[in-house]
Amino acid sequence: MTRTWRLLCSSAAVLMASATLAACGDDDEDKAANGGSAGTPAAKTGGEATFNYPSFPDYLDPAMSYTVAGWQALVPTYTTLVTYKREKGAEGAKLIPGLAEDLPEVSEDGKTYTFTLREGLKYSDGTPVKASDFEHTIKRVIKLESGGASFYTSTIAGAEKYLKAKGNKGDISGITADEAKRQITIKLTDPNGQFPYILSMPFAGLVPGDTEFEVLTKNPPPGVGPLKISKVTGSRRFILEKNENYPDLPGVPAAKLDRITVNVVSSNERSIRDVLQNRADWMDDPSAGDALREFKNTASDRYREETTNSTYYYFLNHRVKPFDNAEVRKAVHFAIDKRALARLFGGQLTPGCNFLPPGMQGHEQIDPCPFGDPNAAPQVDKAKQMVQKAGVAGDSVTVWGNDEEQTRAVTEYLADVLNQIGFKAKPKIVDGEVYFQTIGNQKTKAQAGFANWFQDFPHPGNFLFLVDPDSIQETNNQNFSNVDDREIKTKLDELDKLPLEEAAAGYAELDRRIVENADVIPYGHRKLPVFFSDRINADAVLFHPVLQTDFTTFSLKG
Amino acid sequence: MRRRVAPPHPALAVRTMATDFPLSPQPAQGAGAAAPEADEAIIGAAGLGPWALGMRRLRRNKVAIAFGVLFVLLVLSALAAPLWAEHIAETTPERNHVSDVIKVDGKDTEVVSLEGVPIGPTWSGRFFLGADANGRDVMVRLLYGARNSLFIGITAALITTFMAMLLGVLAGYFRGWTDALISRLLDVMWAFPVLLLGVALGVSLQLGGLNLGPLEIQAGSLWLPTIIIGVVNIVYLARPIRGQVLSLREKEFIDAARAQGASDLRIMFGELLPNLASTLLVFFPLIVANSILLEAALSFLGAGVQPPAPSWGTMIGQGLNLIIGAPHLTVVPGLMLVMTVLSLNIFGEGVRDALDPRAKIKIEG
Repeated sequence: MTRTWRLLCSSAAVLMASATLAACGDDDEDKAANGGSAGTPAAKTGGEATFNYPSFPDYLDPAMSYTVAGWQALVPTYTTLVTYKREKGAEGAKLIPGLAEDLPEVSEDGKTYTFTLREGLKYSDGTPVKASDFEHTIKRVIKLESGGASFYTSTIAGAEKYLKAKGNKGDISGITADEAKRQITIKLTDPNGQFPYILSMPFAGLVPGDTEFEVLTKNPPPGVGPLKISKVTGSRRFILEKNENYPDLPGVPAAKLDRITVNVVSSNERSIRDVLQNRADWMDDPSAGDALREFKNTASDRYREETTNSTYYYFLNHRVKPFDNAEVRKAVHFAIDKRALARLFGGQLTPGCNFLPPGMQGHEQIDPCPFGDPNAAPQVDKAKQMVQKAGVAGDSVTVWGNDEEQTRAVTEYLADVLNQIGFKAKPKIVDGEVYFQTIGNQKTKAQAGFANWFQDFPHPGNFLFLVDPDSIQETNNQNFSNVDDREIKTKLDELDKLPLEEAAAGYAELDRRIVENADVIPYGHRKLPVFFSDRINADAVLFHPVLQTDFTTFSLKG
Repeated sequence: MRRRVAPPHPALAVRTMATDFPLSPQPAQGAGAAAPEADEAIIGAAGLGPWALGMRRLRRNKVAIAFGVLFVLLVLSALAAPLWAEHIAETTPERNHVSDVIKVDGKDTEVVSLEGVPIGPTWSGRFFLGADANGRDVMVRLLYGARNSLFIGITAALITTFMAMLLGVLAGYFRGWTDALISRLLDVMWAFPVLLLGVALGVSLQLGGLNLGPLEIQAGSLWLPTIIIGVVNIVYLARPIRGQVLSLREKEFIDAARAQGASDLRIMFGELLPNLASTLLVFFPLIVANSILLEAALSFLGAGVQPPAPSWGTMIGQGLNLIIGAPHLTVVPGLMLVMTVLSLNIFGEGVRDALDPRAKIKIEG
């Protein structure tokens, strides 16, 4: 996902997935017995906290949101059928049952998944949860043309047909519900090991069957989760409150705090000082600068840096000149100085050549990098020659970025690099709240710009989706480069059918192919500073490897 | 036959901007004549034309002249920006030098540290006033920023003056429904805080640019903030001009012109406009100063000059995140802004004192 980041899925073989799921299920029983998240200190419950966001989340509707900012608020408010263990590190990447009683029963051919809902589930408004709500939930994702729609249309039988049908009232033939047995059966078009992960994304967080087919950010629908969104004030503030109807699902502990107010504070500096001086308790996505250095130096006990599975990259739109030419894209990669980009992130970026991040299975260091050592000077003269040779020198290029501090800096940087190698480039800075929707709309014809990705789930397919031709959409497109290489698709389809361990080398090969073709230009992987106010029991706060900051684990010091 | 009455002294044309005071029927000889004018009479200024008299008074105002010279120097330095960039700093305002290493006092120094802190002033050719977070030369950006700020300030002031003059004269001369229509339009504009209106227009035009019939301006063009600032300031000049025209049109020389068969157009251009000249002249530097300030505010808020084009407001905005580690990023453009606006205001006050020592003019933004 984008952080301004996006999340995505990966694949694992059906058998492998089933085995993993089964294993997770056992662990979960132990967890259930313990009554919550293991490994986190006991914490005081109750009280209120204030968080700062640099911009309002893209959406507060689970069908639509595809950013870390949105998901951090939606994961604790819309629980999915299966979800992740609330643990740090590799353990946190394992799936456990969420609203389902158990992990799914998978048919022998790997095409049918059967879930049974837990008994007595209620939404935050008291409405009972029905098995048929799941189909409605998926229908909303599809008909609202969510950025996550393709996960479901490409996997569930009949979902594609439902997408193409007029109106909302049709049926997704691959989803059936038995209300009496609380059973949900999902038939897939093909076996797909990623499917349980796909179901763990907030898109599939259940909402009532009468939820309207419109974006409900201003008035989010009720969900089943430790928290509920109780109020949204314009695009400046939203409030999360403890959900009194939450049934305390095993492995998904209830929220410790009664109320969390999330304010949009666009000034990074002010936001960091708010936390330092205890006017706010936590902030999302801090940027480097004086305030962060001051925090690190004066309140190191409240500060830590978390490694993320993420990739920061530039997209170059293959459908628009001059980047329809692979040689031109390669020239750009030659000209990028990744050491400079690391500095623009205040040192919180490790320069890299791969698209897959180092912590991801399937990552094999591309060494030597075909475009030069990421920690060495760029080859600007060579790039200039390549641009001249391609006959595109003097072409106009608009480089897109958003108004968040570091994003703007790297956007201006790319524009300058393009000018150095012979283009007439100008940066175009738009509001962070609408940035990804804007560049994800084909009508924008965004030529080049900033993009990033943080894993949605621990699988290389979760990153490679970004260059999958089948991900290209008219709106909410995530394949910003419009990479339409059918060989990538064929290879991805093959790898999806293999156990991850067997497929890892294949994913590494794909990673290399994407980099060598300069389909996108990855330049580094992000470290994330995390810090809290004095009031917060910092040790108890979980930075989840997939879901990022877990709001339910925040508690006040005793 | 009536004798044509001479037009009033142009210096008397200036009045407060927000209220329409009737003009004194007679020049400075009135009961409230200011002391400087009496002095002028004593030292033998009688016989000098109003403009010559004004120039004489201005020359005597050393402070105003000093600040006028300062403004001229600022303009000259802005014009010399390419020379400094090319021959001294050897860079351009947009060129990033993030990972460059330069010699400072014989030592290798990173232009931007690994933690993202840019180098401070070197007081030598390259990075004379330091670098910004993107490793761009602050001195070069400052000079080019001056070009942008002055271009926007002066051009916007010209737009404001022309439009305000047009609307004010039409409303004041024709009165009736023309006046009602124009005045209500100005009332609507007046109802919006100028900064809010500027931000609203700036943000909304940022994505698609401006397309008004034959007028097409691309997003990111300097003309966008220029036009926005020019338009939002109109009301502050149009209203006093209207008031003045309302008063002037009742004067005998207008009656005389009308009696001689002069058309409305001729009366407006031939009789009214010359009498408004000193007002416009006095207002102009103040509107330029106001426009530069508004441009800086809009750019600071992201609704003015778009990156990577430098502007003092943008530079201050981008330096805020590093105000402790690299204070030069905000202090230097801030000082330039203060100097420019101060020089224009003090010079403008001097012009006002020279042309009408009794007038009290204030631009209210």
